[in-house]
Amino acid sequence: MIKVNIKVKRDKFDVAIHETFSNGITGIFGHSGSGKTTLLNSICGLVHPDKGEIIIQGKKVYCSKEKINVPVQKRNIGYVFQEGRLFPHMTVEKNLHYGLKKNGANQLGFDEVVEMLNLKHLLQSKPKNISGGERQRTALGRSLLSSPELLLLDEPFSAVDTKLRSQIIPFLLKIHKTTNIPLLVVSHDLPDLLKLSNKLCIVSDGKCIGHNDYYKLLKDKSINGILSNNSFVNSIDMKVSKVKPEEGLTVLSHSNSGNSIKVKCERSRATYQVGQNLKIFINADDIALSTNKLEGITIQNQLEGIITDVIEKDNITLCMVDVGFNLIVEITRESLKRMNIDKGSTVCCLFKSVAIDVAG
Amino acid sequence: MSDIIGFNTAEVQAIILSLKVAVYCSVISLPIALVLGYKMARYSFYGKPIVEGIIHLPLVMPPVTTGYLLLLLLGSNSAIGQWLYQAFGIKLAFTFPAAVIASVVVSFPLIVRSIRTSMEMVDPGLEDASRILGAGKLKTFFKVTIPLAAPGIISGTILAFARSLGEFGATITFAGNIAGETQTLPLAIYAYMQIPGQEGTTMRLVVVSVVISFIAMAFSEWFIKRRKQA
Repeated sequence: MIKVNIKVKRDKFDVAIHETFSNGITGIFGHSGSGKTTLLNSICGLVHPDKGEIIIQGKKVYCSKEKINVPVQKRNIGYVFQEGRLFPHMTVEKNLHYGLKKNGANQLGFDEVVEMLNLKHLLQSKPKNISGGERQRTALGRSLLSSPELLLLDEPFSAVDTKLRSQIIPFLLKIHKTTNIPLLVVSHDLPDLLKLSNKLCIVSDGKCIGHNDYYKLLKDKSINGILSNNSFVNSIDMKVSKVKPEEGLTVLSHSNSGNSIKVKCERSRATYQVGQNLKIFINADDIALSTNKLEGITIQNQLEGIITDVIEKDNITLCMVDVGFNLIVEITRESLKRMNIDKGSTVCCLFKSVAIDVAG
Repeated sequence: MSDIIGFNTAEVQAIILSLKVAVYCSVISLPIALVLGYKMARYSFYGKPIVEGIIHLPLVMPPVTTGYLLLLLLGSNSAIGQWLYQAFGIKLAFTFPAAVIASVVVSFPLIVRSIRTSMEMVDPGLEDASRILGAGKLKTFFKVTIPLAAPGIISGTILAFARSLGEFGATITFAGNIAGETQTLPLAIYAYMQIPGQEGTTMRLVVVSVVISFIAMAFSEWFIKRRKQA
């Protein structure tokens, strides 16, 4: 648990945040200049708040009243910066070794991290000779090897091409699964954040205006304006229940509902094993609604559910459908009227297998 | 040690003394300039412009003035000079250490300036990253700041070395022109110029002076080039 109650004076506005972050992955979302980075910098000690206290895993690292201010290097926090900030005069290997604790208290060994982040072939390279994604992975590895109790990531996707962005997400999920270190991820890119976690903390003008599950935040009228400028992504935890390479399909099931989603199995994913946990992402506008199941159609995923909420904001209409798990479906207002559906209606959510993106 | 490649004892003494003063000067200036350059590059503190002014003063002041001020400050009649003599039996003015002190003071602005500029170019974000990874300020300074500022540090040191080789005014005022003790190359060249019939000696020393300066500059260039390739 990370408890933050701080006030930092800034030119335009004061950053005043009073939140408790749980041990999972929390996405911190907000526009540029909203105070997200100030929050991270205060937690790690690069910025000294004017008032307040910060407690990380029960340890008080900052308290203005008690005059406690643990120096940056003793806070035991991993921080992955937007630009990676690798030391340009050192090889990847030396960068990784930089923060390595010598007392052997490492949760992950050097070889393990190199293996997990696929860095082996880069060890002897200098940072300037590797790609943005590789630099970001090296920075992640370097932070992990310093055995942090908390990992902060500031816009970890923005220095990487859009194409490569999705590549860093599986690594982050894998890190969290292996080490159980809490992750605070700052980004102004909602779809990328949602791929990591549904737990969001929304920061605007230095204040936290919402800290909850994404689906619940969407219903909050005071907040959904900030969220609706982005495309919506469904992020769902699934388990592999059947692998059928001969049919080019992998069948996934959701742990709570038993609802199964059929996923087209691509070559790279032929290694799926029954029982394996996966996170899948489906864009809200890749899902279609029908009033009943359709025969004679190539779309294999047809999930029946009940509309639990209809959110209308500007030109967008979002339907929350409970198919055993929550699905957000983006449709036009015209469709809503034409099909005569509303809260409580039973609908079928249709989406092609290829619309599903999977992170291991 | 009469004649080494045509140099007489006094000439050899002047060459060795010059190199010795320049080496001492660089070695003494470097650590002070590293700390001061870093402070100037990274921190703003009360009275910073005054400190800057004092450091840079010898760059614009006539060296003879610098030497004279040193004589007033550290000479036998000054408070510090008297205290040094009474407490430790040390006399500074007109000795070898005086030649080194004169060189340090005159070349100091050059080395500080060069180090400060190169440290300003080191991204403070990298120092932050180092500290977050658990390194203290000292480890960060030696492992991140210094290696990244190395080209400026090397060229600054060589600049100080070269400036020390060419130092004349402050040295002759504060340290005198004593053969074997404070008579460096420029002072020896000046002394031989005054003596009729010593044109050959003067020329030889001038050539040596040019060669040493050239080697120092070439080394600096070579080092910077090597760093760029790495």
